[in-house]
Amino acid sequence: MAQTGTTVRTQTPLAASSLPVAKGFVTIVVSTIALIVLCVIYAPSAVTPGSLMGSLPFAAVLGIVGLGQMLVVQQGGFDLSVPGGVSLAVVVASHTANGNDALLFQAALVALGCALVAGVLNGVMVALFRLNAIVATIGMNALLFGAVFAVSGGVPRITTDLLAEIAGGRSLGIPHSVFFAVAILALVSFVLKKTVVGRRFEAIGANPLAAHAAGLRVRLYEGAAYVLAQLHYCVAGFLLAGITREPTAFQGNSLLLPSVAVVVLAGVSLLGGRGFPISVMIAAFFLNQLSQFALSIGVPYSAQTIVQALALVFGIGVYSINWTGRFSKTNQKPMEEEDHDTVVS
Amino acid sequence: MTLSYLKGGAAIAAATMAITVAGTAVNAQDVPSWCGPNEASLALLDGFGGNSWRIVTAEAGRQEAERCPQITEYIYADGQGDTQRAISDINSMAARGVNAIVVFGDAGPAVLPALTNAYRSGAVVVPYRVLVGGEAGTNYTRFIGASFVDDGITWGNVIAEAFPEGANLLFLSGPAGNSQGLEELEGMRQVLGEEYVFLNPEPFAVTNWDPSLTQQVLSAAIAQHEDIDVIVSDFGPSLVGALPVFQNFNRSIPMLVTSDGNSLGCFWTENQEANPDFELFTIETGTDNVRLAVQWAIAEATGGQGPEAEIFVSGPFENSITGEPNAVQCRADLPGATYLSSGVPGDRQGELVGN
Repeated sequence: MAQTGTTVRTQTPLAASSLPVAKGFVTIVVSTIALIVLCVIYAPSAVTPGSLMGSLPFAAVLGIVGLGQMLVVQQGGFDLSVPGGVSLAVVVASHTANGNDALLFQAALVALGCALVAGVLNGVMVALFRLNAIVATIGMNALLFGAVFAVSGGVPRITTDLLAEIAGGRSLGIPHSVFFAVAILALVSFVLKKTVVGRRFEAIGANPLAAHAAGLRVRLYEGAAYVLAQLHYCVAGFLLAGITREPTAFQGNSLLLPSVAVVVLAGVSLLGGRGFPISVMIAAFFLNQLSQFALSIGVPYSAQTIVQALALVFGIGVYSINWTGRFSKTNQKPMEEEDHDTVVS
Repeated sequence: MTLSYLKGGAAIAAATMAITVAGTAVNAQDVPSWCGPNEASLALLDGFGGNSWRIVTAEAGRQEAERCPQITEYIYADGQGDTQRAISDINSMAARGVNAIVVFGDAGPAVLPALTNAYRSGAVVVPYRVLVGGEAGTNYTRFIGASFVDDGITWGNVIAEAFPEGANLLFLSGPAGNSQGLEELEGMRQVLGEEYVFLNPEPFAVTNWDPSLTQQVLSAAIAQHEDIDVIVSDFGPSLVGALPVFQNFNRSIPMLVTSDGNSLGCFWTENQEANPDFELFTIETGTDNVRLAVQWAIAEATGGQGPEAEIFVSGPFENSITGEPNAVQCRADLPGATYLSSGVPGDRQGELVGN
């Protein structure tokens, strides 16, 4: 069954009691396990502890950015200001602090302030003035890069030792960025799935008209998605600055397509609706591991790019096309059974 | 070298700076032979000026122009990674009647028509470092290239000296297919025999000169190959964040053969004790390539005598094994994104880059 907002509206409450699992979750978990098996067979070096320690921080950053993008997509929007948001946090982290650990907290506040302003502007443009999300956020991206230049002049600067330790260090053998990702994942999952605000957020994404009729403040929630997304990009940018130690001023540029890809791979409907935070995080690991696999088997760079693009096509193909309905119309399951697929992640 | 580009519509207000240097007092005996008797104006046009390497390069160009009292006006314009803007800058300088135009043609052949128009309108046009196609004498006055093949030969000689029996090499360069990386590889292959094995995919491991991608590429390579003897990179500072990955594997950082950068020198100073195999050899990073281009442009525009060289060759800069021509340099008081090999003094770079 296709994972769309329509799907959500057809589910029965009773289905939740049978420990159902979302189709997106199953697909991405199976894909990830298959990829790990492939790695073990064909590129064992890609799954050694040392290799994972090197690549997991980037998966964590991608996961956090993906969660931000997911919130926007849940409201039927798109956020193309990811590169600007991440890059601005990176240059604020490295330039405002300027190698001085004592200024790191101040830099974090400045970065958060910038993220809030950018998010509010995005939210106002899209939710209040009803501008097209793609146009509004691509404009915001340009503004954010203007700020990147204003702060840095395009010149990279070395991160403070404290940030390098916080973001790039390890505890219990696990990179700190992974702890950050897990904590943010837990927070997003809890708020989205277990609080009234979160349930309303998903309901509005699934059907804004019905939500409006029910008296929910649709525009507020839609706008809030952009603010929360920018906060995610900000945290991701800070982590990236610490992980790479001497980041460029345009470090966010490479994150736009993957941020959309992980949301698609996780099975979140591009039309809005339910979010699947855990699936997004697993998809981030999957995409990152796919790159490591391609690097380890030594394929050319062009092939690596193609492999990633195919993963995106795969994601869209799996979720956007109703394969069951298209090829076996006479063999459809009863509605109650199908709905089991779409309840939880 | 091209590092990163601002994409899409991300542009800030045009940054064009005009500095009049006519009043600079220069003694007659200090006037170089490439500075002729005729007065001229000079423009240095950058395709993308938004990184420290370009900022230092622009300063080197300004300093070189300042040495010639016949230069009445020096103009710098930044194309900000926007091809349209870069073309517009060239056309604008030609329309203003600027006598000599030095161009870093980041957009490659895309700027050739504008260069040709400027050349035909009577300006001296000198593209440098990045190939723009066309021919000298037809499309522009003269092209002042950098010899990346020579860089490769210099690196190859150092590697052969350190590992006479052969070695396993990992060569990292920028975007896929970039001509700089290909020429450097050609240079290394001229010197190194079959006993020197390149572990990376042909022709080099793609990093886009991006620290984050470099780190991921290096992680995969280290996990895959237990015996990397030498890492060769044409942009050393991008490795600063990536080299600690070796700690994840409990292995020493191997010998590094690259171009210089203050952050890299300081990284070596801090980490060489804990990494017994970590030797560092660097060549000059090439911020002075622009000086040769400016000299030629001024010589042609003022009727001076052209310098002997037409191709810029980066000399060796640091060698942690022999200490020749320099031991590894680190100025902890300066920003990491400065280049101590540059003709622009470190303190001046610090002022420019630090602000």
